[in-house]
Amino acid sequence: MKILNLMKKNMLAAVIGLVYMLLFLAAPEKALLSLNNSAYYLKEMLVILPVIFLFTAVIEALVPKELILRSFGEHSGIKGNMLALLLGSISAGPIYAAFPIGKMLLQKGASVANVVVILSSWAVIKIPMLANEVKFLGAEFMGVRWVLTVFAIFAMAQITDRLVKKDDLPLESQDPDIQLTIRESYCIGCGLCVRMLPDFYKMDGNRAVVIDRPLDENARVAVRITAEKCPSKAIMLHLKEEKIS
Amino acid sequence: MDIFTLGFWAVALLLTAISLAKNKQKTFSAMKKSKGMMGSMLSQIVAIIFLIGLVLTFVPPETIRAYLGSSNTAIATLTAAGAGSITLIPAFVAFPLVGSLVHAGADIVPAAAFLTTLTMVGIVTFPLEKKEFGIKFSLYRNGLSFIFALLIALLMGVIL
Repeated sequence: MKILNLMKKNMLAAVIGLVYMLLFLAAPEKALLSLNNSAYYLKEMLVILPVIFLFTAVIEALVPKELILRSFGEHSGIKGNMLALLLGSISAGPIYAAFPIGKMLLQKGASVANVVVILSSWAVIKIPMLANEVKFLGAEFMGVRWVLTVFAIFAMAQITDRLVKKDDLPLESQDPDIQLTIRESYCIGCGLCVRMLPDFYKMDGNRAVVIDRPLDENARVAVRITAEKCPSKAIMLHLKEEKIS
Repeated sequence: MDIFTLGFWAVALLLTAISLAKNKQKTFSAMKKSKGMMGSMLSQIVAIIFLIGLVLTFVPPETIRAYLGSSNTAIATLTAAGAGSITLIPAFVAFPLVGSLVHAGADIVPAAAFLTTLTMVGIVTFPLEKKEFGIKFSLYRNGLSFIFALLIALLMGVIL
């Protein structure tokens, strides 16, 4: 099972490795040429990789995300849009990592426009990635694409806001007062939450599951920390009284 | 190292120093998270880079120019946008791949279309999105993203 998982995760690498091996047997000079061609890109990647790593980490450490999260209401206007753009741009991870956060914000009263801005900028505008784009496609390409994309995102947000009303969205009815859930489609099974709070989570196969609800305030604080640390933001804690203005 | 890379290094190191000075523990825990995220992508990155070597060896620049060059923009751009909507690779590994094609003579319009739909339109993740936001929202968001990706690409062709 473990080996199977490992192979599934490294599928592309395994296939490419195999192609190279066959190529070395069939046409060694072509294989060497391919390696040579790759060498340049490998070198360039290694030069920019630490920068991307540092940017991702530093943004996470320096930006007060909680503060930003609180300002996306229906009448937040341009300022809300800008903050949404900022939140999307500084976050790391693929677009589907943004779905639970977007949903959570909608449930707390964020406007449809702002959620579109967050999802789109999360997808295309990545501050750490800009360095990568400049490296391989040039500063001009990156700059022009960035400006056009920002305009496009605001336009899309306005259009979607007109066309899609809140009633069209499947917002969950606010059931029991306290609800702690892990969305299994997002959980990547890193086990971080289980290590932090074994009283509330446990591993079930390669996914984490909830085993208890946080009933007092201390437990809620601890659970909220695990929800924040969760790399794929799969942990959801709903409290009835929680609403943003 | 070119000037931009040097600049990025300088900014990154400066910010890291500030962050360390402000809160050492928080910085280290953020680094750990960032390491985990990049670690899981590393094999994909290396694989794509070696794939670039193969592509450059077996697909001569003339062929790239013929299919993705400026003589063929309309079809190439639509194909690139479609391919970008289906594939699910991190933008991170897409830049060197697209960069290598552009250096070999591919036009920037399809390149920009591919990069934009790659990240913004997700056919593979559509079921997830539908579950969270409903079919109407997801259809509009993905549809609009596709159209705007094409617009962005075309405008880039005009500007650059």
